[in-house]
Amino acid sequence: MSGILASLFGWAFLVPLLPALAFIVIGLFGDRLRRLEHGGWIAVGAAFVSMVLAVLIALGEMASPDTYTSLSYTWLSLPANPTFPYGFSLVIGTLVDPLSSLMLIVVTVVGFLVLLYSIGYMHHEHGLSRYYAELSLFLTAMIGLVLSNNLLEFFLFWELVGVCSYFLIGFFYEKPSAASAAKEAFLITRIGDILFLLGIFIFFYVYASDGPAGLHWASSGFLFAYGNLPFLAGSLGANTPLLTIAGLCILAGAAGKSAQFPLHVWLPDAMEGPTTVSALIHAATMVAAGVYLLAMTSIFLGFTPTDQFAIVAIGGFTTLFAATMAVVNTDIKRVIAYSTISQLGYMVLAVGAGFAMVGLYHLFTHAFFKALLFLAAGSVIHAIGTQDLFKMGGLKRHLRVTGAAFAIGGLALAGIPPFAGFWSKDDILSSVYSVTGSHPEYWPFLLMAMAAVFLTGYYIFRVWFLTFSGDRIRDPTLPTPHEGPWVMQVPLIVLSGFAVGAGLLIFIPGFANLFLLPGGVTALGIPPTYGTTDILLSVLGVGLGGAGILTAWLLWGNGRVFQLPEGSVWSSARKVLVNRYYFKVAYDAVGAKAVYSVARAADFVDQFVMDGTVRGIEQLFSRISERMRRIQSGVVSDYAAYVVGGLLAVFVLLLLVGPYLVNRVGGG
Amino acid sequence: MSDWGAFGAFVGPFLPELLLLAGALLVFLLDVLEVRRVELNGAIAVAVTAVGLLLVLADLGVAPFAGLALIPAGQIDSIVTPSSAPLYSFTSLGLVFQAFFLLSALLVSLGSMSRPSKERGSAVFFGLLLLATLGMMLVGVASDLLFLVLAIEVVSISTYLLVAYTRRDARSVEAAMKFYIIGALSTVLSLFGVALLFGAFGTTNLYAIEGSAVGTPTLVLLGYGLLVAGLAFKVTLVPFHAWAVDVYDGAPHDVSAFLAGGTKKIGLFAFFLVFIGPILLARWGASFNPLGGPGVEIGPLLQVLLAVLAVVTMTVGNLLALQQKEIKRMLAYSSISQAGYMLIGITVATAPAVAGATLQIFAHVILTTGAFLVVAAVAALGVGARIDDWRGLGLRRPYLGVAFSFMLLGLAGIPLTVGFVSKFVLFSSAIQAEGYFVWLAIAGVLNSAASVFYYARVIKVMFLDAPDPSAPPSRPEAPGLAFEGLGYGRAVAIGLVAVLVIFFGIDPQPVLGVVQSAAQHFVLVGP
Repeated sequence: MSGILASLFGWAFLVPLLPALAFIVIGLFGDRLRRLEHGGWIAVGAAFVSMVLAVLIALGEMASPDTYTSLSYTWLSLPANPTFPYGFSLVIGTLVDPLSSLMLIVVTVVGFLVLLYSIGYMHHEHGLSRYYAELSLFLTAMIGLVLSNNLLEFFLFWELVGVCSYFLIGFFYEKPSAASAAKEAFLITRIGDILFLLGIFIFFYVYASDGPAGLHWASSGFLFAYGNLPFLAGSLGANTPLLTIAGLCILAGAAGKSAQFPLHVWLPDAMEGPTTVSALIHAATMVAAGVYLLAMTSIFLGFTPTDQFAIVAIGGFTTLFAATMAVVNTDIKRVIAYSTISQLGYMVLAVGAGFAMVGLYHLFTHAFFKALLFLAAGSVIHAIGTQDLFKMGGLKRHLRVTGAAFAIGGLALAGIPPFAGFWSKDDILSSVYSVTGSHPEYWPFLLMAMAAVFLTGYYIFRVWFLTFSGDRIRDPTLPTPHEGPWVMQVPLIVLSGFAVGAGLLIFIPGFANLFLLPGGVTALGIPPTYGTTDILLSVLGVGLGGAGILTAWLLWGNGRVFQLPEGSVWSSARKVLVNRYYFKVAYDAVGAKAVYSVARAADFVDQFVMDGTVRGIEQLFSRISERMRRIQSGVVSDYAAYVVGGLLAVFVLLLLVGPYLVNRVGGG
Repeated sequence: MSDWGAFGAFVGPFLPELLLLAGALLVFLLDVLEVRRVELNGAIAVAVTAVGLLLVLADLGVAPFAGLALIPAGQIDSIVTPSSAPLYSFTSLGLVFQAFFLLSALLVSLGSMSRPSKERGSAVFFGLLLLATLGMMLVGVASDLLFLVLAIEVVSISTYLLVAYTRRDARSVEAAMKFYIIGALSTVLSLFGVALLFGAFGTTNLYAIEGSAVGTPTLVLLGYGLLVAGLAFKVTLVPFHAWAVDVYDGAPHDVSAFLAGGTKKIGLFAFFLVFIGPILLARWGASFNPLGGPGVEIGPLLQVLLAVLAVVTMTVGNLLALQQKEIKRMLAYSSISQAGYMLIGITVATAPAVAGATLQIFAHVILTTGAFLVVAAVAALGVGARIDDWRGLGLRRPYLGVAFSFMLLGLAGIPLTVGFVSKFVLFSSAIQAEGYFVWLAIAGVLNSAASVFYYARVIKVMFLDAPDPSAPPSRPEAPGLAFEGLGYGRAVAIGLVAVLVIFFGIDPQPVLGVVQSAAQHFVLVGP
């Protein structure tokens, strides 16, 4: 059986190909596919087959974990030359290994469920074929990213998912806020991407001057091939400034994609896109690509100790920083968006502390329960048409499935056992704790992450109580809510199942194989161990999460609305939080000022240099022709005059000026 | 039987041309029989040009088709003795240009085949398109000045009619009139030039002129000068360019695509044919032709003249393009300035320079044809002609927006597009040639840098500017990804161009190899 499954590894390229075909078909036939809900069912079908293939591939990896199959096609190759003694080749291919098959499950399962949910959720929108085509293209790019077998290919798909994200955030492009959010997301992630590319260049330089093996490897686009690991090990841990800078550049790229401090500002605004897009791209998959990049880099390139500290600091700080902003937000989607930033912070923290696979374990569980929360929020929005928490209330009687699903997602997020989030978050905390002995500088960030656990429980259940508890809807003008169609309920139920059980999967020996490091090495912290300290830490974590939930119930339960006393310290703190620590304001101001001064300089050049020149020449030519243009027949004779004038100029050049010039400059 | 064999050997090499002729006649015949379907006529044009393209590629020895070659290998790039003075000869550079012409005609046919056919006259459009392409093909094999001028006339007359084929649109008719008057004037200049050269050498054959005894210098100079002026009309060199802006602007969009992307290139090939001889003669002197031919002093003079025209053309074209508010006029001026770059290759006239110019011409064929097809597609969606009207188009129409961005980036010569490769090869060849040619490369690089402004501006308008709130809202049944309302043919043609731009930008070798070998042969044996 495992042999049959392993033979599928060579066919892994079909997994991204099917959504690509769906993209082409939907794009070509567009709204002619009205019967198929504008191509939606084609996208769902393609994603379903992809998912089945991906699950089979993952089963194969679980059965025989150490195998990997790499299919490569040399896209471009330069012959050997002095700069590249081994030539240079750009390779496109698929790499199937335990890690990529784990990611495949995440992307295809959530992708399929979100597409299915979209059939109901997006039913009333316009431009559906555009939506399904772009979402299919996104799936192609995201699957291509996780299957990449070298860093340059990875970067190409990385850019492509960014472009898809831009289009999908701006899906309601007629809304100015959506168009501007799309632009913001694109530009801010671009900052990270440029640094990421710079990081690749520096790594190239470092490895190319590190002897033939390194040069060979770098010249083939940093193939993710296990044979490279031994010689890489020599470079690991070397705290050279150049490697540190390269690592920081990679971190910047990851921070941009995964919305880590200080490049976090775009993600909450990206909620302008459809909720389904938020669930798939801005919760489960694309934003996790940054964490995946960090994990891959830590495995294949290695970070220096300085880089590791920077990653831990960014991740740990972001967990608390984002959670505080989630506490006061009144928009159901934005609270979940801040929560995503905070949870991504946990993953970054884990990778930085040297537990790449523990970070990916949380990525795995988080993808499901966060997608669940978004889809449940979407179900609420679908039912009553508002995102304002203070207009909702009492919905649990109307939306039973949604309410239960949101509660399960919330419990998973808050880290309550046995729900999925508990196992992975707890593993992160105990893993990071285990290295605080040798790295006391990690302590502050571990404490921030612990504090964020309390806030997590609080903010997510504040949303639940405000939305679902109480006996009535606060805004009486809202319509009577009702559950969405089956296509919306089935994904909620399936994802609820994952939110309950995904964390426990790790204790199945076969499944834990998906977390093996290259060469079949067991990853640190996988599966989680439970010594006395670990259990104490778990109890503390659950206690903090539970206390958060309890606080939320006290303040917001049963339709209560908590108001801060006017004029207290708390209300001014609240103001800072509502204004998102003034980051957006500051970015806008700095950005506007920078752009403005560049624009002024450009304007100066434009007005006095360009325009002057242009106008001079323009006047030379067009003053006559403008006058002539008033009489139509005049224009042609004008042109004819140019021709004759040009002929005279040719003669003058050939007979008079030319011989002089040729004598001066010499012939060709 | 043997008669048939000889006939086949004579006709076989011209099968692509004969196919074009048959296609044109079939289209006209169907019109007379009142079978008037745009798709059918378009399909005929697509089929004929596609098969023709395949055959020409086969003759060039391009890998998968080489078995279909119709021209015996020995006849391509064969050494021609001046005394044989053939009317036509096959050079691999000529075949490369034929492939470009057919590619342009193929893209335009594809782009027009599913266009809404409100106006009758699709037969006129496709028939004339095929006839014009036939004339262009003949330019590609010409080796006699009279043959060349006649072939150019076949193209010109077909295109005068093409511009006005809708007959109802006053702007098109006016453009056609201007085109015709300036075109006729240019033909007269060319013919007069040919007559003077005949007076000087006693022949109009390019091989014979190269191998002849020295002619009267003044007659020779005036003759070449007149030919420069006459041919510069087709190439749209400044100041012979003025017609082009009005005609590209006023003509139906598909016709503009063909004029700017296709027919313009026959002038460039004619420049190669006519001026390579004197330049090579000056370079190699007596070893090239002991009798003296046009005279060794002619070549350097022509090079200086062409260098001046190149710099003036690219600079004026770019500066005026910067000023344009309408997309089509911007593209027209951009196309004029691009002709300046291509002229560098003819001026320098070394094998790498000819290869660079030819690659630049290839880039321009697909990019300009594609760009005008996008303009046609956007106009068909009811969007205005001003650049400002395109605000937010990238989000509304991602397919068109992304494809057009690829084309603009290609025209600007950004890396990873074919436009970068071609400019790189071209400018570096000018630097290798040393002397004042280095200044041509510098002028070219500066101009390319300036041109990025107006190309990038359109991309910015399409993707970063908010849609105009006062513009009429898009139809309630919001469009699909992009393809709705485009028509299959047009969508495919635009997509094909976008893919080719990037594909050959990443891996130019397939084109570059063919072009380099053709250029190598051309500077060794070409007329």
